Amino acid sequence: MPEQKNAPLLDVEDLSVAYGPNDVVRDVRFSIARGESLALIGESGSGKSTIAKSILKLLGTDDAEVTGNVWFEGRELLGMPERQFRPLRGRRLGYIPQDPGSALNPVRTIGSQAQEAAALLGETNPDARRSHILSVLADVGLADPVRVYDSYPHQLSGGMLQRVLIGLTVLPRPALIVADEPTSALDVTVQKLTLDLLADLRQELDISLLLITHDLAIAAERADTLVVLRDGTVQETGAAREVFKAPRSEYARSLYSDVPALNPDRYRSQRLLPDNRRRESTANPPRIEMQGVEKSFTTAGKRVLALDGVSFSVSPGTTHALVGESGSGKTTAARLLLGLEQPSAGEIRVNGDPLQGRRRSELRDVRRHLQLVYQNPFTSLDPTWRVSRIVGEPLDRFGVGGNRSRRAAQVREALEAVGLPESFLARRPAHLSGGQRQRVAIARALVLHPDIVVLDEPTSALDVSVQAGILELLARLQRERGLTYLFVSHDLALVRQIADTVSVLQHGKVVEDGPVQRIFEQPQHAYTRALLAAIPRVTASETPTTTIPALSEATL
Amino acid sequence: MKNQYQRFVLTRAGQAVVVVLLAYVLTFLVISVLPGDSITNSLRDPQRGLSEEEIQRIVAFYGLDKPVVVQLVLSLGRFLSGDLGFSLQSNLPVAQLIGDALPSTLALASSALALAVIFAVAIAYGAHYLPGKWASLLRSVPSLFLSVPNFVIGLVLIELFAFRLHAFTTIDTNSAAATVFAAVTLAIPVSAPLAEVFIASLDHESRQEYAVVARSRGLSEARLFVQHLAKPSALPAVAMVALIVGELLGGAVITETIFGRDGIGTLVQKAVTGEDQPVLQAVVSLSAIVFVAVNLVADLASPLVDPRIELREVVDA
Repeated sequence: MPEQKNAPLLDVEDLSVAYGPNDVVRDVRFSIARGESLALIGESGSGKSTIAKSILKLLGTDDAEVTGNVWFEGRELLGMPERQFRPLRGRRLGYIPQDPGSALNPVRTIGSQAQEAAALLGETNPDARRSHILSVLADVGLADPVRVYDSYPHQLSGGMLQRVLIGLTVLPRPALIVADEPTSALDVTVQKLTLDLLADLRQELDISLLLITHDLAIAAERADTLVVLRDGTVQETGAAREVFKAPRSEYARSLYSDVPALNPDRYRSQRLLPDNRRRESTANPPRIEMQGVEKSFTTAGKRVLALDGVSFSVSPGTTHALVGESGSGKTTAARLLLGLEQPSAGEIRVNGDPLQGRRRSELRDVRRHLQLVYQNPFTSLDPTWRVSRIVGEPLDRFGVGGNRSRRAAQVREALEAVGLPESFLARRPAHLSGGQRQRVAIARALVLHPDIVVLDEPTSALDVSVQAGILELLARLQRERGLTYLFVSHDLALVRQIADTVSVLQHGKVVEDGPVQRIFEQPQHAYTRALLAAIPRVTASETPTTTIPALSEATL
Repeated sequence: MKNQYQRFVLTRAGQAVVVVLLAYVLTFLVISVLPGDSITNSLRDPQRGLSEEEIQRIVAFYGLDKPVVVQLVLSLGRFLSGDLGFSLQSNLPVAQLIGDALPSTLALASSALALAVIFAVAIAYGAHYLPGKWASLLRSVPSLFLSVPNFVIGLVLIELFAFRLHAFTTIDTNSAAATVFAAVTLAIPVSAPLAEVFIASLDHESRQEYAVVARSRGLSEARLFVQHLAKPSALPAVAMVALIVGELLGGAVITETIFGRDGIGTLVQKAVTGEDQPVLQAVVSLSAIVFVAVNLVADLASPLVDPRIELREVVDA
């Protein structure tokens, strides 16, 4: 295929990838024009990363069978010997990986790795390379390029590392950058800044982008063209606005409705309490109360305040969200409430009773009514136990629930409440999907009939469609059982769907709190506004059926 | 950072001294609880022809008539002042016996260590970069090396290279050629665990995202190995080297016997058969010192080699 003026930069034809009998990618085709950005969207197992790695010839195993054609600048890549392909690596085809924390050699300085990248471009004078590198580091918005140059990767934050990686990728001015979930390991505000940087550089240097993401909202905001993938096949391809405005495939439609940022009121009706219950709720004393809570740690001889005068209260049957980025103290607050750690100062009350100055046995009693659902269901369940034992363990631990058969009945009831069939009792976690695991974890929390459930990022390890199912379940359980939730999250869009009241935490301080509606519509603090601005921007005109006035107003 | 490192060095050095002292005490106690009074037994050996008076003088000199604890303190005091005593068999100073035997053993052990490292790196590199069939063959080499006892390797090498090919003679056992073959014998089993650790960490490192990213920039596999993978995958192997020194000392005893070399190994062998307590005590303490010193160096070097190791007290996060 000779290169023509209008020929696409990258043309993927009938790409299939199989590992032995399992084909993970089937007959995928799409093309990217010069200067265009295209997003591959899909959930885990959709084959999106495999496609990216096939194009870059980075699959790294001999047992992957790749068929089809990938044309890049008029040359076919898949059949090309490595010796001919290597000059294209980096120079014409750039790659930005998912987790900046592991993408640089941990035992070498940033500078030495950058030198190596620059040396591949043929510049022989190390000093010339150094000044070139320093100017690129400044271009990607790093305030102190010399310090970054001399640092080791572990001395920089995730956002800074991702800037370094972006800088190293654009250094040779490639024609196409493949970015594999470039921001999913970053905090939300950093995520936005990083995507903005990438967009600016792309414009300035005329680089095309292949963006791999699971986040429809990010894809819609950042790409010209969307390719929706599921189980290795293309469900839908089209201009981002078209796919977004009127998704044709059923899968794209369901994906759309599962994205929190696009559907702020999705669970509102399901969560609404009947009027009498709501009056009761506000009349009763709060279930949880924190008053001026402080917690300090000593690190390297220095005292660090993880929590600094945090106060909030949660009414029965409502959901309170603690929102913040890494290091904000939100997880510390949850740990204090659970009694896993003791506050340095301040008071925590559960059901009106203070947690401090209680005997062990009394604390145990408090904890029975306070259960935790942990962030990662892949590590929070003992892989050697069966579901029946996992869910039944709290009953044994607290010595409640009556005799064997009555306990077994309660375990079955808890499992039914989270929507899992009885046949799951005999399974082990390895035979459950992520969503099913998290349901088991919720069943384990419910079996003691607690009043309060602490949800620590309960869906952050899950795909959006699975997340939607879990959120629906949590909303239903709250309505049926009058549960009080403390919801810890970094995701404001998610919080808007599920919470009644919010405390926004930054550096251990509550910078703003109030009803969720008010926080979203009239944010007072600059940090809250920054968090809101980080929610991918979707203007009302681009949304299909439901309008989201509150959200678009807040993000303007 | 500077101060922290100094403190780290001092703590580790202090710990090393304690370990050496404990090793000394333990050796002393083990020898003294062995059945029979080894010293007086060997003194009263009729072949030595010592008169009862002479025996009493020696016993008094070494304080052998005193309780074990007092003997220990006296012996430890002499050890700390550098006096290793006299051999019961030859009446020569122990320090002199060790001084004569040490250079030969050091030459053997250090060339064996160098060879073991070369073998391990070659095996690991080959196992990683050669085409499939050869790579899997190389991956089975470490377990082969481990399963063949080192005296068998030694005898095969002597039969083949000394008797058939005449590459070295078994008469001049300290010649350079003989030393090379003795070192190979000692290096082969020692290189096996080293190669296994190196292969495993090379596998691990080459799957890391940073290796993929470096490859995506167009680095060749050879440069990827030298510039990126070699150092991080060598770190666990370096820790392993320190542990292997113990094995080298043990293996040296057998290898010296097979090749008929004079050295610490033969010295120990004679001391054991002759129940020569001062020599045994000195050699064991010396081994402990070498082992502890090598591990101390490895410990002190690791924060300098790996920038991720931070020197600070463990804190709750």
